[in-house]
Amino acid sequence: MSEFLQFLVAGLKNGSIYALIALGFTIVYTATGAINFAQGEFFMLGGMICVSFTELGLPLPVAAVAAIAATAAIGAAFELLAVRPIAGDNPLRIIMVTIGGAVVLRQLALHIFGPDERALAPFTEGASLKALGVAVELQTLWIWGLTALAVVLLAFVYRKTTFGRAMRATAIRRDAARLVGVNAGMMVTVAFALAAGLGALAGVAVAPLTQTAFGVGAIIGVKGFAAAILGGIGNPITAVAGGLMLGLLESFAAGYFDPVYKDGVALVVLLLVLFVAPQGLLVRAGRVKV
Amino acid sequence: MTLLQVRGVTRRFGGLTAVDDVSFDVFEGTVKALIGPNGAGKSTLFNALTGFDKPDEGSVLFDGEELVGQRPRDTVRAGVARTFQNTQLFEDMTAGENVMVGCQARQRRSFTTAMLRLPGAIAEDREAREEASRLLRLIGVEEWIDVPAADLPAGIRRLVEIARALATRPRLLLLDEPAAGLNATETRELVQTLFRVRDSGVTVVIVEHDMGLVMEVSDEIVVLDRGRKIAEGPPRMIQKDPAVIAAYLGGDEEDDV
Amino acid sequence: MNAKTLRALAPLVAVAVALLVPLVVSDRFILKVFTFAGINALVVVGLALLFGYAGQVSLGHAAFMGLGAYTSAFCTVELEWPWLLGFVAAGAVAAFGGLILAIPALRLKGYYLAMATLGFGLLMSLAFTEARPITGGVDGFTGIPFPSLGPLEIRSAASLYWLVWGAVGIAVLVAHNITSLRPGRAMRALHGSELGAQACGVDIVGVKVRTFVVSALMAGLAGALYAGVVGFVSPSVFTLTASITFIAMTIVGGTSSLAGPILAAVALTLVQYVDALIPGLPRETAQTIQSYQEDIYGLAIVLVVIFAPRGLAGLWKRRNAGGETP
Repeated sequence: MSEFLQFLVAGLKNGSIYALIALGFTIVYTATGAINFAQGEFFMLGGMICVSFTELGLPLPVAAVAAIAATAAIGAAFELLAVRPIAGDNPLRIIMVTIGGAVVLRQLALHIFGPDERALAPFTEGASLKALGVAVELQTLWIWGLTALAVVLLAFVYRKTTFGRAMRATAIRRDAARLVGVNAGMMVTVAFALAAGLGALAGVAVAPLTQTAFGVGAIIGVKGFAAAILGGIGNPITAVAGGLMLGLLESFAAGYFDPVYKDGVALVVLLLVLFVAPQGLLVRAGRVKV
Repeated sequence: MTLLQVRGVTRRFGGLTAVDDVSFDVFEGTVKALIGPNGAGKSTLFNALTGFDKPDEGSVLFDGEELVGQRPRDTVRAGVARTFQNTQLFEDMTAGENVMVGCQARQRRSFTTAMLRLPGAIAEDREAREEASRLLRLIGVEEWIDVPAADLPAGIRRLVEIARALATRPRLLLLDEPAAGLNATETRELVQTLFRVRDSGVTVVIVEHDMGLVMEVSDEIVVLDRGRKIAEGPPRMIQKDPAVIAAYLGGDEEDDV
Repeated sequence: MNAKTLRALAPLVAVAVALLVPLVVSDRFILKVFTFAGINALVVVGLALLFGYAGQVSLGHAAFMGLGAYTSAFCTVELEWPWLLGFVAAGAVAAFGGLILAIPALRLKGYYLAMATLGFGLLMSLAFTEARPITGGVDGFTGIPFPSLGPLEIRSAASLYWLVWGAVGIAVLVAHNITSLRPGRAMRALHGSELGAQACGVDIVGVKVRTFVVSALMAGLAGALYAGVVGFVSPSVFTLTASITFIAMTIVGGTSSLAGPILAAVALTLVQYVDALIPGLPRETAQTIQSYQEDIYGLAIVLVVIFAPRGLAGLWKRRNAGGETP
């Protein structure tokens, strides 16, 4: 039983990370109808920049916040420089520009931070919590807390603030939003910045547990996307649910079968969902545009 | 003879009935127009007739063959061709190449024949080239044959799309708002083209807003309002029909589907 | 012979010129570099058909190359089949992979298709690494014999070069036939407007399936050639990075073109081995260039997509306006 709980904890921990990445995909998708193939790189940048800031002497909390802010800024710049010039809705070009952009970001990280793995100190030092025969690392609690905070904040911003309403309007009908005075272009930039910030948050939160390196972006991006479509893209709730589901699936597969299957699970889920139910498992068919 | 029999076609989107139990006939060799205020369901009906959408109820018989449930490729093979309100030309291909794609509908040589550049494939290609030339000449736009579609003026684009649809050798041609966005001269050319098309033996159904064009070109008109057919008959009769006048001028200002 | 025909023959002429190279160059290493360029060109011809002409994104194309390489290696080393048979098997396995990937392509568009191909590529990468008994795992497959046509073994640098570029020549011939005739127009129509293509009675399913299969086949055969030329394959060759490199070559080369992507493939391969080609080049410069290779790929993709979406071929065509493309 305690084995089961251990896998559960691990699954929910990784699942929270995937949820944050999935949210990033969802935010950009709902604002633009596009999938940003560079989403995973923001995760990588968050962790790497945070480590660098701590090495420069900044205390951890400051470094973390600064790293998230910096990555959000990079996200905004990415949109302005790479995506905005591609006017119109040509998916092929947007795919290619975000792929190329992802490579550029990754290479920049390589040149600036070097090829080695970097570790971040845990946010709180101390022994793992033990309960019900399960050991929960303190960092895991941070991950859960930060993810929950991010989700709640996001929900609040979207529902209760004028700004959030403007973003939702842009997502639903861009031309209509413009008519009522919403600056659609800026909304898109903000969406990218938000998505980048969420990715960076995930990267910073998990860096103490798994080392970060310049090349982690691609696979985490794919997993985050798999999580996003598992629930059904276009809906932040299903994105989070998808993330947690994927984390649990991975954890149980790795735990009960073979750790080598870990990455494979996400890829198989991705392909299965795309082959069989691209609209997502939690969304009734037809309500979400594919 | 009756070429097209539309019977009880209904299409709903959620709670909204876009096309409501519409029936009409189209006689071979004639031009039939589908008109109605915005939101009357004309384009939806169009999609249902050509395999791009499936009606919830009803049947569409084309020379006795049921079109409902067929995919666009099959309806083309059966002899029904269409154009689009937003012209769907292949932008990076020339006008001539666009029309040549239309010839595909009838061509039989296999992929392997092309891969190996066998004489059959080359002959077929030459035929397609000649056919494209001929059709563009028929439509009156042969001078644009080597111009990429992206560089064609709006009026010419429409005409090229019509030529491309004709390349599939249809017996029935469905045109979706061909005059939209055209100026007076271009509209005149379009009218001439439509006459030429009809005279070449192709039956035409046209969805259109431009009343002048409709009155001049059609043999019969079907009027839709809010998904329902409210009138059908020759142009003179439709002009005087009170229900039609009411639909266009009076009534509620709602904007439907 | 008019200008149009000349342009159409350009890729064939390029290959003919390529075949003359060993008569002039005798340095084995340089020949080997050009041989690699040929292998990349072969992959890119297929990708040009799939992506450049038909507009179907394939972000995992290196996986097909890997399938071909590992199949050829397994057949010649473990099953001890004659090389030619292994070559054919490599093509068949890769083509089958292409068929599998064509299935989601029928339903998915744009972003989702791209992700599916990306996922497929990563999954194959994982399979290459984990299927130790078949692929040798992370350490790879060693001891792959040289190619041989019947009793004739192909070992010298020049003969390997001719084998590879001969294959490229045949591929270009086939691809040229496809693109200059009806199937090529059907692909470009599909790329231009799927709705419009449907309205013309184009067999969308057939075009997608055939294009995926042919392009996967070419990549698979390239993989088999790679295995024979190098004698060793490992998962680190057929990665996402490799797939993106091939895409970069295709995009830079240009849409609706064969010559453009081939030229781009050769040029970008040469950059990889710049230190071998320019003997006087100082070590640091060479190392700098090589470490910035992928930056070049990424930037090239971004810049081309933003400023010259039809690639070099598009720019070339605009200078000599109108007509059909090489």
